[in-house]
Amino acid sequence: MANYEFSQVSGDRPCCRLSRKAQICLGVGLILLIASIVIAVIFLWPRAPLVWRGEPTTKHFPEIFLGRCLIYTQILQPEMSDQDCKKILNTFKRAFVSKNPCNITREDYEPLVQLVTQTIPCNKTLFWSKSKHLAHEYTWVQGKMFTLEDTLLGYMADDLRWCGDPSSSDMNYDSCPHWSENCPNNPVSVFWKVVSQKFAEAACGVVQVMLNGSLSEPFYKNSTFGSVEVFNLNPNKIHKLQAWVMHNIEAGSSNSCSGSSLNELKLILQKRNITFACQDNYRPVRFIQCVKNPEHASCSQISKQFGS
Amino acid sequence: MAAQGCTLSLWLWLWPPLLLPLLLGARAAATRWSGEGTTPHLQSIFLGRCAEYATLLSLQSGNKNCTAIWEAFKVVLDKDPCSVLPSDYDAFINLSRHSIPRDKSLFWENNHLLVMSFSENTRRLMPLCDVLYGKVGDFLSWCRQENASGLDYQSCPTSEDCENNAVDSYWKSASMQYSRDSSGVINVMLNGSEPKGAYPVKGFFADFEIPYLQKDKITRIEIWVMHEVGGPVVESCGEGSVKILEDRLEALGFQHSCIDDYPPVKFLMCVDHSAHPDCVMNSASASMQRGSPYLYTTGHVSLMISLLVALTSSSQV
Repeated sequence: MANYEFSQVSGDRPCCRLSRKAQICLGVGLILLIASIVIAVIFLWPRAPLVWRGEPTTKHFPEIFLGRCLIYTQILQPEMSDQDCKKILNTFKRAFVSKNPCNITREDYEPLVQLVTQTIPCNKTLFWSKSKHLAHEYTWVQGKMFTLEDTLLGYMADDLRWCGDPSSSDMNYDSCPHWSENCPNNPVSVFWKVVSQKFAEAACGVVQVMLNGSLSEPFYKNSTFGSVEVFNLNPNKIHKLQAWVMHNIEAGSSNSCSGSSLNELKLILQKRNITFACQDNYRPVRFIQCVKNPEHASCSQISKQFGS
Repeated sequence: MAAQGCTLSLWLWLWPPLLLPLLLGARAAATRWSGEGTTPHLQSIFLGRCAEYATLLSLQSGNKNCTAIWEAFKVVLDKDPCSVLPSDYDAFINLSRHSIPRDKSLFWENNHLLVMSFSENTRRLMPLCDVLYGKVGDFLSWCRQENASGLDYQSCPTSEDCENNAVDSYWKSASMQYSRDSSGVINVMLNGSEPKGAYPVKGFFADFEIPYLQKDKITRIEIWVMHEVGGPVVESCGEGSVKILEDRLEALGFQHSCIDDYPPVKFLMCVDHSAHPDCVMNSASASMQRGSPYLYTTGHVSLMISLLVALTSSSQV
């Protein structure tokens, strides 16, 4: 039997016929190939969006947003009919799409704020805190004052939800960060902080704020009004802030204006050289509350003479 | 000099009558019809309102396909502007109709903005402008050009120009459907300060709503005759055209009632007139009101007596 022995013959293999230089080139080429495959996988492989616990972007968000923009600029405030609503929608989206919804900054919304400029007449600004529904009913009926949601930016975004995701250039219609997920710099919160600040900065003359007198702290320092708006009022443009402290109709009348919460607001304003005035149950707004409770004692005195 | 002055004054007299027909002619060429032209971006506004209604405002509307609703609506945009019938909107109504909650219907004449304020976006009541097929067209205008395809953005016909115009036919069609779908207590808000009368005997309510109310679904009809704060009281319950309406409802067999200045709505009107006597109750008049009518009258009488005494005593002096 022949003795087949394979003996290692050093240097006598096909690869070793290549020169050292060629080996290096091949090695580098291989590394580059592997690297580009890895990079391609990382960037091109469709990834699932991040999953959150909160409600997703409002269904049909672009149609609703665009429709509201057109209604506002063509019908409600025709002096703004030169605004380009499609451009506004795109600029709005670019603030947060393709980004991690917990890393949104004020600068992200800067192009939008620069694009949409609106002058609110002096003495017509109405801030609100914990009294949104009543404040909006009032401006809707009275027709001459503006809450933030009566300006174009606020009107378009009111009651809507939105967020993006790093893996997609579209809005996230599956979920958005919940307030309990420790994500304060989310697209919605940052938006309202930015526009609230601009709204306060632009206010002039005598401004009003509607507060909820049925709460233990009608002026709440952690609210948007208490933390953003109050500190961005311009003392050179505003000489007085008037608070209307509204109580639930069932509660009857009480005196919140002299309470400690409102006093805190007064001190903050005094430090900023802004005069403060306060009124419990401002009458015109009280009438709006009477619509739901015409039989209540505070309202029935007046309603008795209707139709007489 | 005099001759020059004469020519000048003659020229001043002549140019208006020369220029005026030109101006009128130009205006006539620009506005063929008497109504506002098509609202710009009509489709986007329509789709936006539809999406908002279906998503945010009403659970009644269920799963509505807004694109399909628009497709059904826009067939009228291809028709001659004076040949659009209410039936041309049948497909649109079929796709957009939804139920109206019982006791929530609100019919009205001559107080559109007040109705919108009071209804609170479907929260309190649901007038036609808060129903999907009413909401999409509210405050909008649309029509095709007269001799070409494409929308007319300059002007659109109203009832003054021709009966079968796109917008009127829309509201006729929507009104009929709204009536058919209303049930329970029916509320009607009329304007008692309107000089032409609170109840227009020829109007949408009279011609396209009352005839389509379903008697077997309706418990009663409640009429509110509202008067402007500080405004004229042209008609009240039981008077003028309101009486005509009440008689008509009676003849049709509906149970009905009428209230002047229904308080919840009046409070809304007072928001902008909080200092007006109609809206004010100071403590003096409050105590007089709360006291018995007898006391009020005696107070009045004693004042008269003291005046008389004062007069007689002064005359004696």
